[in-house]
Amino acid sequence: MEYIVETRNVSKKFGKETAVINLEMKIAKGEIYGFLGPNGAGKTTTIRMLLGLMKPTSGTIQLFNQNLEQNRIEILKKVGSLVENPSYYPHLTAYENLEALRKVLGVAKNRIDEVLEIVRLQDVANKKVKGFSLGMKQRLGIAGSLLHNPELLILDEPTNGLDPSGIIEIRELIKTLPSQYGMTVLISSHLLSEIDQIATTVGIVTKGQLIFQDSIETLRKYANQNVSFTVSESKKAWQLLISSGLQAELQQNRVLIQDCSDGIVAEAVRLLVQAGQAVYRVEDEKKSLEEIFLQMTKEENAG
Amino acid sequence: MIANLLTSEFLKIRRKGFWLLTFLGPFGVVALQMVNYGVRKDYLLQQSNDDWGYYLGNVHSFTPLALVLGIAILTSFMASIENETNAWKQLIALPVSKMNVYLSKFTVLACLMLFSSVLLMVFTFAFGLVLDLGSAVPYMDIVQYSFFPFLASLPILALQLWVSTVSQNQGIPITVGILGFILTYSAFFLPDWVIWKWPSLMNDANEPVQNVLLGVGVGCLLYVVGMIDFTRRDVK
Amino acid sequence: MLGLFQSEWFKLRKSKVLPILLSGPLVGFFVGFALRYEANELQGQEWYLTILYMNLTYALLFLPLITGVLAGVICRYEHQSGGWKQLLALPVSRGKVFVIKYMLVLLLVLLIQLLYLGSILAVGAINGISEPFPTEVVWKSILGGWVATFPLVALQLWMSILFKSFAAPFAVNVILTLPSILVINSERFGPYYPWAQPFSMMYIGGNEGDVFFIPWEQLLTVVGGSFVLFFLGGFLYFQRKAV
Repeated sequence: MEYIVETRNVSKKFGKETAVINLEMKIAKGEIYGFLGPNGAGKTTTIRMLLGLMKPTSGTIQLFNQNLEQNRIEILKKVGSLVENPSYYPHLTAYENLEALRKVLGVAKNRIDEVLEIVRLQDVANKKVKGFSLGMKQRLGIAGSLLHNPELLILDEPTNGLDPSGIIEIRELIKTLPSQYGMTVLISSHLLSEIDQIATTVGIVTKGQLIFQDSIETLRKYANQNVSFTVSESKKAWQLLISSGLQAELQQNRVLIQDCSDGIVAEAVRLLVQAGQAVYRVEDEKKSLEEIFLQMTKEENAG
Repeated sequence: MIANLLTSEFLKIRRKGFWLLTFLGPFGVVALQMVNYGVRKDYLLQQSNDDWGYYLGNVHSFTPLALVLGIAILTSFMASIENETNAWKQLIALPVSKMNVYLSKFTVLACLMLFSSVLLMVFTFAFGLVLDLGSAVPYMDIVQYSFFPFLASLPILALQLWVSTVSQNQGIPITVGILGFILTYSAFFLPDWVIWKWPSLMNDANEPVQNVLLGVGVGCLLYVVGMIDFTRRDVK
Repeated sequence: MLGLFQSEWFKLRKSKVLPILLSGPLVGFFVGFALRYEANELQGQEWYLTILYMNLTYALLFLPLITGVLAGVICRYEHQSGGWKQLLALPVSRGKVFVIKYMLVLLLVLLIQLLYLGSILAVGAINGISEPFPTEVVWKSILGGWVATFPLVALQLWMSILFKSFAAPFAVNVILTLPSILVINSERFGPYYPWAQPFSMMYIGGNEGDVFFIPWEQLLTVVGGSFVLFFLGGFLYFQRKAV
């Protein structure tokens, strides 16, 4: 497997505080790697280290199979990034902001118009960024990160501050990057639903530790849903389902079953109706990210 | 690569008032003499037989002061361009070495100061002609008084750039600038090794070139120290 | 009003203002010791000469310049990450915010004046000046210098609110302060230049019959007049400032 990003035992301390502990991150080529974790878990610190903005206290970082510390510049030529809030020069126009980056990157001038079009800012290209909305600044930041056609794109919370249509737009854009341009994408977020819709691989970090790193399908298994039944007599219903061999759980006035394949749900409904229960609601119950975290950390402690 | 960085830096300082300040410095220094001579020209001309020399001395009494404060202002300005929206993280994540980033900032500032020096020379010469100070124009002295203070102040530029780039609170480098300015104002009382004395071109040996050589040498040294420190720091 | 002041004071305490305040006595020490030998030459006037020399540099250049830095510090954390909009969205009037900020800078300037007074005493003690300390004259000078910065602080606060960057209002300050070096030599213009007033009002060689070493008319018209002008300018600007 060819890894674009590979970190070994990376830790970062700020004074006494440890922000990242023994991180072993692996991102394969062509993946959209969703980097997930609550605020303050160490996502941004990790990303800063991947970009060489900060040096790890210990451990090594390899990008494109090269050591970051020794080949920082070579590596960064192939990396586009947007870290936290967008950085920009407010007194310059959108075009001039990109021009300031372009000169350093040394790419052709027409790239500016191209990336402005990709993020749909061509109409405001000659307006000062000072007056831009947060979403426009964010899009300008993404345009800047695409300027030199990077092989690896690192986006830290890129949909922060965007309106729903903007979020969808950016999401669609990111999805096409691996197939169209062969890019590998690292995208961080604190929202599972966000990552769920675009990532192929997921890494979950909490309190500085990577507690999960696998394909999105594996994560979905963790997040598997319950189906909850709200019925007239929940205790009786629960006993009925258990005696019929279904794994059911009684929770307050509801009955939960964990296996939620269509056949099982249909079977459960049939049983309940035949037994004379009034079925008020049958609902999917998704687990929140926090619940998955809890579950994972629990399992870790148990194992 | 450094050329690309430089053009990018020059693009970034547009519309920020850098060029205005670069103009105002030398203009202000000569304008003060315009007022001075405007108010009491006859008195001033009586002070010395060497009218050009006396005039250049008057101009030069303000040059180091404007220079030291100008450096503090421009370096702080330079840092605030990146600080304002924390664009350091964007800049350093580009495929450029941090050394070159620092070098390009320093070079842009040095260019601005050099340009100021050229303007100072032009304004000094032009107002000298307006004053009609005699036909024996001391061209060499004009050139020296215009460029030597700048070269002698390179250590201050290096120091201020360092303090500005590593300070989150720009009040700190400005305060350092004010203290340096007070030292320069009191240059007469200072021993020769104090860098803030150097722009005044005074020394015990009465040899201005000494200050220039020291300025360039120590300037390079302080520049390297600042640059190494800058490259070792994490970008917030 | 008190709550607002406490809030401002709290924000300020967390923002490294102490090193800036300490620069005042630092300048005092520097000038005090640089002039040590000259002061010793004249018996019977040691205090007088020491203070005269120290005040010259301190009041002429340092004090006007540092007021700008202090005004900048007060506004810095508001410009960063949208502090203004948060502050002004609180149930407080803009006028009050301006007045509180202004008073806070004045307080800081007073602190720096007192620290500077401390440096005068320390310089005297270390240089072994045995004459009685001219308490009244020195207090007049310290407070006079403070009063003379009232209009300067007002203008600098205005400029600091106007400009986001720290260096821009400071540049304005420098441009207005440097000419003082020439202006104080002129009997015709010296009395009318606001940036020269800290020097005049701390100049203990001035007329001791006057309250702050300058005539009442000058105090009222030049210091008072420029204060009203700059304070109102900043106040009105702040009322209309789009945040």
